[in-house]
Amino acid sequence: MMSVLFPSREWLGALHEKLNTDGHYNSVARHWEGDLFFDIRPEGNLVEAVSMYLDLWHGVSRRVEYGATLASLPRPKFILTAQYGNFAAVLLGKLDAMTAMMTSKLRVDGSLGYMMRHVPTVLDFVRCAREVTARVL
Amino acid sequence: MQPILEVDLSAGAFSELAIPAAWRNLFIGGASLAARFLYDELSPPGELLGPNAPLLFMTGPLTGTFGPAVGRFVVCGRGPATERWAESNCGGFWGPELRAAGFDGLLIRGKAEHPVFIWLSERGREIRDARHIWGMDTYEAQDQVKADVGSAGVHVACVGPAAENGVVFSGIYCDHGRTAGRTGLGAVMASKNLKAIAVHGSKKPPVAEPDRFGALRSDANRALKQDNEARVLHELGTAGAANYSEYLGAMPARYFHQGNFDAVDDVSGAAMTERFLTGQSTCHGCVIACGRVVQLGDGRKRKGPEYETICSFGPNLLISDLQAITRLGETCDRKGMDTISLGNTIGLAFRLFELGRITKADTDGLELRWGDAETVFRLIEMTAARQGIGALLAQGSRSFGRHFGAEDEAVQVNGLEVAYHDPRGVSGMALAYATSPRGACHNQSDYFFVDWGHTQPEIGIEYYPRHAQAEKAANVARHQDWRTVYNSLVMCIFANVAPAVQADLLSAASGHEWNVEEMLAAGARGWNLKRAINLRLGLTAENDRLPRALLEPLPTGGTEGFTPDIEGMLIGYYEARGWDSASGKPTRETLERLRMPHIARDLWQ
Repeated sequence: MMSVLFPSREWLGALHEKLNTDGHYNSVARHWEGDLFFDIRPEGNLVEAVSMYLDLWHGVSRRVEYGATLASLPRPKFILTAQYGNFAAVLLGKLDAMTAMMTSKLRVDGSLGYMMRHVPTVLDFVRCAREVTARVL
Repeated sequence: MQPILEVDLSAGAFSELAIPAAWRNLFIGGASLAARFLYDELSPPGELLGPNAPLLFMTGPLTGTFGPAVGRFVVCGRGPATERWAESNCGGFWGPELRAAGFDGLLIRGKAEHPVFIWLSERGREIRDARHIWGMDTYEAQDQVKADVGSAGVHVACVGPAAENGVVFSGIYCDHGRTAGRTGLGAVMASKNLKAIAVHGSKKPPVAEPDRFGALRSDANRALKQDNEARVLHELGTAGAANYSEYLGAMPARYFHQGNFDAVDDVSGAAMTERFLTGQSTCHGCVIACGRVVQLGDGRKRKGPEYETICSFGPNLLISDLQAITRLGETCDRKGMDTISLGNTIGLAFRLFELGRITKADTDGLELRWGDAETVFRLIEMTAARQGIGALLAQGSRSFGRHFGAEDEAVQVNGLEVAYHDPRGVSGMALAYATSPRGACHNQSDYFFVDWGHTQPEIGIEYYPRHAQAEKAANVARHQDWRTVYNSLVMCIFANVAPAVQADLLSAASGHEWNVEEMLAAGARGWNLKRAINLRLGLTAENDRLPRALLEPLPTGGTEGFTPDIEGMLIGYYEARGWDSASGKPTRETLERLRMPHIARDLWQ
């Protein structure tokens, strides 16, 4: 698995591949039904906002799109919004994903109930994302 | 600042106590201020029940102001099961109503000749006959008292039949489902022949700088409403994180002897929302609205259970029927018993039955089988009435275990049953339970949130891995201090309000300028004061312990075989607290630093 720079089109592609080939994720996320829209707000070395879209369904990634806009998509199940630094800290393992959520460093729009019910899937998704991240901006 | 109303039930007399401004500035209000008021009389020999057992209801400086999640009161005294400092706080509307009636607290002394209720309003103060209400459940009693006083907008705090029968974990209830459940202060209230306290008022609570406070309050409530945790609580109730807790092995099952509960999806906050929820209920002025209104198969709308009740009658007893759990919780509320302590004590009975240490000969012929909700209903009724084995259950788990020669099987600390956050899943709860001033309590420090990731670096509450040991001791102490501030304000622990904002709110309300460090110092002061009360009541370092079950590894689930090194954690904790390692007393230097030289003299004379 290639490890790449976050955020980038290559990084999203690597994550897409990882999610589709990681047996543990495929199993843990087998009941997950929902797409994610990441809204990464500029901060530090990231001078312009970046967005990414992932359509996740039953343990696989069906489609990803770098630079997607909400206007071009059916409303995603979850919109995850944070400053770039917080996303980067989660990917580098410096910030726990649950910490980010519980301290509102990561804004979650969507059914929190669904997310809390699928915590193992959420945490394994983060593991996969970390494993494809070699460096950040 | 408003006075405390003192009621002598023996004499049928009322008087007013002024709150010294110096005490407000040292202890803020609520439970810490109550500890200062009660310090002198909570000493041996003292009585646990009856005319000489004091009972103090306190509000905080923000109560009733529509600030963020501050519609609460706290009731304090000495616990009949723990025999130590007791406090229990409660939401609803009663606390704000007491302040609206012109009082910041209510101190009950003496004992009435027959059952009575107190009626406080701006028109007067009365002690009324309650013989016709005695025996009613907490829902019926509230309705009857309201009918008796015949005034709209009345709020009633009352006890149920369990308290009348001296059940040591009976609570005080208001607003149909809001409970001061822990530490058995309902039994203290009933021992004074006091069935209920009705209050009504229309005064605005005193706020020193109304314009400043109003702007801060609006901003704080707006921010709180957007907080992720608050949104989970609103959407799913307090059981919103049940799945995560189970995933970590922090949700106890089979009386703390099983590390996973496969049916968690059937009992979680998400399940309740999807299957039964018809609406949310809220305490006075709260924007979170974590209360559940559910509709079960019988079509009647009722209170939905919160996390502790779900765990107590669900995973703890291996019951996965959420409708049954809801009804079990409601039955406890009506009878007036703490769901945590009762579910825990019933769990101990099930455990001893499974081990063959008790038999049907001990249980009035009942077979105690895991997952059998009908038997649990029977046991609840028998406990409230103190019938058969219920008379033993009514004494709490420590006493129940001791009766059958199995005290070490009871999952309790200093007489208070452990709440449902297993320290083998979230290690900070080991210290939280072992050192809490009221026994195994999750509200003096809900450190499991920190172990889940809810840090507050701005006040030094940092992240340590959930299975870290002594290295997190100082962090736990810091968190306890901060939660002692909450219990002084009296603010709901679900309210994530930035510390600096809390300091501003308190300053604007009280007229005394506070900063965060001063508030933390007040928290530490309150914590050490309660420690001093307990030391004078016989507590020693030996009491800082965990029950055996929590020190044994679980073979399954998310604990990953972890057990807390409580001895090592306590060494770090005493050091962080400035407590003497041999006696467990706060050192003279610690007490003097906290501006309590009189306590230092008492403990070190």
